[in-house]
Amino acid sequence: MTLLEFARGPMLHFALIVFVFGVLWRLVSVALLGWRKNRAESRVSTAKAATGGAVAVGNRSWPHPEFLNRTAFGEAVGYGYHIGLFAIVLFGTPHVVFWGNLFGIGVSWWPTLPTGLITVISIATIFLMLIATIRRYMHAPLRRISNFDDWFSLAILWVLMVSGVWAVLGLGGSKETILAIHIISFNVLLIWFPFGKLMHAFYIFPSRFITGYKHEKKGAAS
Amino acid sequence: MSTSNRKERSAIDRKTIGQIMDENGVGRRRFLKYCAGITALMAMPPGMTAAFAQQLRAARRPTVIYMPFQECTGCLESLTRSFAPSLESLIFETISLDYNHTLQAAAGDAAEAARHEAMEEAWGEYILICDGSIPTRMDGIYGASAGHSFVDQLHEAAEGAAAIVAVGVCASYGGVGAAYPNPTGAVGVSDIIKNKPIINVPGCPPMPEVMTGTLVSFLASGVPELDKHLRPKAFFGNTIHDRCYRRRFYDEGKFAESFDDEGARNGWCLYKLGCRGPTTYNACATIKWNGGTSWPVEAGHGCLGCSEPDFWDQGGFYEPMTAKLFDDTGQIAAGAAAGVAVGAVAAVASNRRKKKLTGAADKETSS
Amino acid sequence: MTTASQNFSRQGASGADLSPSEREENAMQAFAQNFGAYAALNLEACIHCGMCADACHFYIATEDPKYTPILKAEPFKQAYRRESGAFAPFFKLLGLKKKVTVDQLEEWQELLFDSCNLCGRCSLICPMGIEVAELIEIGRRGMAEAGLAPKALAERAQHQAETGQPEESARPYPEVLNEIGREHEVEIPLDKDSADIMVCLPRTDLEQNPESVAAMARILNTVGADYTFRSDALIAENYGYYAGSTGLQKKITQRVVDQAEKIGASLVLVPECGHAYTALRWQAADIIGKKLPFRVRHITEYLAELLADGKLKLGKVNGDSFAFHDPCQLVRKGGIMDAPRELMQAMGVDLREMENKKGFSFCCGGGGGVNDLESARPLRHRAQELKLREIDDTGAKRFLTSCSDCRVAFNDAGEHFNWDKKTESLVELVAANIKE
Repeated sequence: MTLLEFARGPMLHFALIVFVFGVLWRLVSVALLGWRKNRAESRVSTAKAATGGAVAVGNRSWPHPEFLNRTAFGEAVGYGYHIGLFAIVLFGTPHVVFWGNLFGIGVSWWPTLPTGLITVISIATIFLMLIATIRRYMHAPLRRISNFDDWFSLAILWVLMVSGVWAVLGLGGSKETILAIHIISFNVLLIWFPFGKLMHAFYIFPSRFITGYKHEKKGAAS
Repeated sequence: MSTSNRKERSAIDRKTIGQIMDENGVGRRRFLKYCAGITALMAMPPGMTAAFAQQLRAARRPTVIYMPFQECTGCLESLTRSFAPSLESLIFETISLDYNHTLQAAAGDAAEAARHEAMEEAWGEYILICDGSIPTRMDGIYGASAGHSFVDQLHEAAEGAAAIVAVGVCASYGGVGAAYPNPTGAVGVSDIIKNKPIINVPGCPPMPEVMTGTLVSFLASGVPELDKHLRPKAFFGNTIHDRCYRRRFYDEGKFAESFDDEGARNGWCLYKLGCRGPTTYNACATIKWNGGTSWPVEAGHGCLGCSEPDFWDQGGFYEPMTAKLFDDTGQIAAGAAAGVAVGAVAAVASNRRKKKLTGAADKETSS
Repeated sequence: MTTASQNFSRQGASGADLSPSEREENAMQAFAQNFGAYAALNLEACIHCGMCADACHFYIATEDPKYTPILKAEPFKQAYRRESGAFAPFFKLLGLKKKVTVDQLEEWQELLFDSCNLCGRCSLICPMGIEVAELIEIGRRGMAEAGLAPKALAERAQHQAETGQPEESARPYPEVLNEIGREHEVEIPLDKDSADIMVCLPRTDLEQNPESVAAMARILNTVGADYTFRSDALIAENYGYYAGSTGLQKKITQRVVDQAEKIGASLVLVPECGHAYTALRWQAADIIGKKLPFRVRHITEYLAELLADGKLKLGKVNGDSFAFHDPCQLVRKGGIMDAPRELMQAMGVDLREMENKKGFSFCCGGGGGVNDLESARPLRHRAQELKLREIDDTGAKRFLTSCSDCRVAFNDAGEHFNWDKKTESLVELVAANIKE
């Protein structure tokens, strides 16, 4: 079995199983820990509070203006590479075809971006990831609170991005091997996902919603 | 293929290729054109032509033994379609093809005797061409010829060879014979012979001009630069994708979604229909087949990746090389169910631990 | 990670000496009481983005990364990961999350108490919507149960739970109250058997700002409110909240609830105090385990309601410009966004808003019990410098707020920095401009 066969065969299968298993394990084990009833006299109706929650899911995506001068740079870099990653993963042709094949759906309706544009976005993303990585070390609070999870998650992303760009730009080496490394690093991402901070992709919604909901009930700043 | 007596053949063999060409009325101009053609084929710099021509003229017409193993004869068929150099020019002027099941007149013991004679005569100097995979399971019982297993035959033939050219994916890596589940234990030549220079010329079949070009180049300047799969970089150095005339459609995101749809008729990229171009190293996109007539992609079908190892086992030909290669028969769903179950257990266990840690009262009292 | 002056003493919550392992166990117990889905979600969602540091005035003033808010919650997070959550057994077995030790808790005392006002600004900036301030509150609970809350806060909490006031006073407070009434010539109802409204008082006002007490009484008298003070539940502050002791917080709150029930009050008015509002309006019902039988309002929002109903008439102040400090517990966390401004607008106050106003205002630096911590003073001053400068930048001549603890903080800072402004009370301003 070649490395590529292994990467997109048994390893991918295993990674998907672990991903699904782990994510649900993690979410369910939190959700079922017990929710406390809130008996305080609310300022608004539950419906209005729920709206507040829904709003918070959106507007926590960008800091309030009062915080911007201290946080804009970090936020912009973070969002920059997230948006880059999403663009590449959701609109890059090889990925679109991959998702279609993975979920067994036709993808003729799914738009793709031209390869050249994706390449430019990829290089920009790598550049932003570099800034983010350096910043995590140079910015004192970040360095203080960063742990294995933070660095390892970044490392996986690095291998993914570099191998992807390497394969597309044909920077040398066997195409198949580079492709295999790319897929293997994706598999590692899937396997690591449930066990680290990457779970924020799921947590972000209930966390923001509940905070927004609770704050709206108090009329508090949100 | 002549059955002339030994003396006569030796005389012929001691002549150089240049002498033979002169005798056959191949003029200087035509010879140089021939050399220029080969060097161009191999993407050598134009200045090399003169050196190439000189070396070729001075080379002696070597003995070539062509041993077939677990093959379909497709490689030989392809070889006969080589247009420059043609097979005829090859066997009449450039090489002495002393053994080939399909092309030889002799058969049976006579053929075997001729082979052994040729091998002894040119011991240490002859070129061994192999096609077909070599079955190894159960002592190689799955393939035999003249009472000997292919494994033994390969060992014997390789012993006195100056170099081995493994033609086709079967001889290079195992090919279709080695496809899952590989019941015969088929392997390529380089998996068995470790002590001789081997050039793999894979393909299913390999391109005619790639085979002949490699042979002639070997005659002129020995073993060419090889990649990690022992393939001549001159022909296998670039991927189909990098040389494909439909590449701009890939880059622009214009794909045929199904055969004979509008995209297909417009000649758009066949990536979504499973083209293996990006990971296939071969010369189809540049040299093309049938004297430059066309090649699979141009004919509207994605590249199968037929010059790559294990290409038979890379999933459906109409799924891309990055597609999943596993069959999920409910394992992922089972994983999901297990995750929910384990999560619930974890939560219950956590709550129980919480009760234990907090004593009787386990009510949260935060706001 | 030790500070120059640690002000804890190894005393148990009940005054007895606890062994280190007992402290660890007690802390664990308090943490475990909060291992619910909500706290878990908050802990799990953190992505280590470090933005909370950029909201915290202690970090901004010192640039010391140890003041990163989420780091303050680390003992609780560690305990959670080890004992609860999805992978607790693995974390425990593989030693990936160690047991929270007494050394660690001692190290964290400065972070949980000295350098946190529980102001909630960090909760506001978090892109993941984590209630960082609440996690710190839970962190304090572990400390309190372990007997590692700062002595000043622990002792005052204990005293208030037992007697209704945080410390011994020179004279009994009911006596002080009566005297204020006499001196300021205002009727102050005390210990009526029944009343519609029960009012509490900040003890700082009783001791330091008697004019505020008188002012509030005067306003309530003018609007004809049926109210009373109760000797047994006179003090609005809740040192149990500061110290992080749920049990003591509950006792203190219960006292208020009992008295209000006794007189059949339908409304309990929180005076100019910040955390008293949080403790009573937002935390009391859950802490005592049942819905409150009365409404809870802050004096400013009560007055704003009266203003809107036309029951309160206000005259105009003179032309001075004012800056207003939004107390964290009332505004950002409490939701009383507009009431103070409605009152100020009615009085024609020339309000010069700060850059960080309303829900974004920087804490006075004294909240969360920090006012009571001598060890925290130098750090607090550094943080307060930012705030004072911001107030100065508004160009306002006078300075107003609606919380007595904030007044204490600003007075102390003002003295330290030789500040040119006096911190005034909004209620006093209303009282001074009320139209009979």
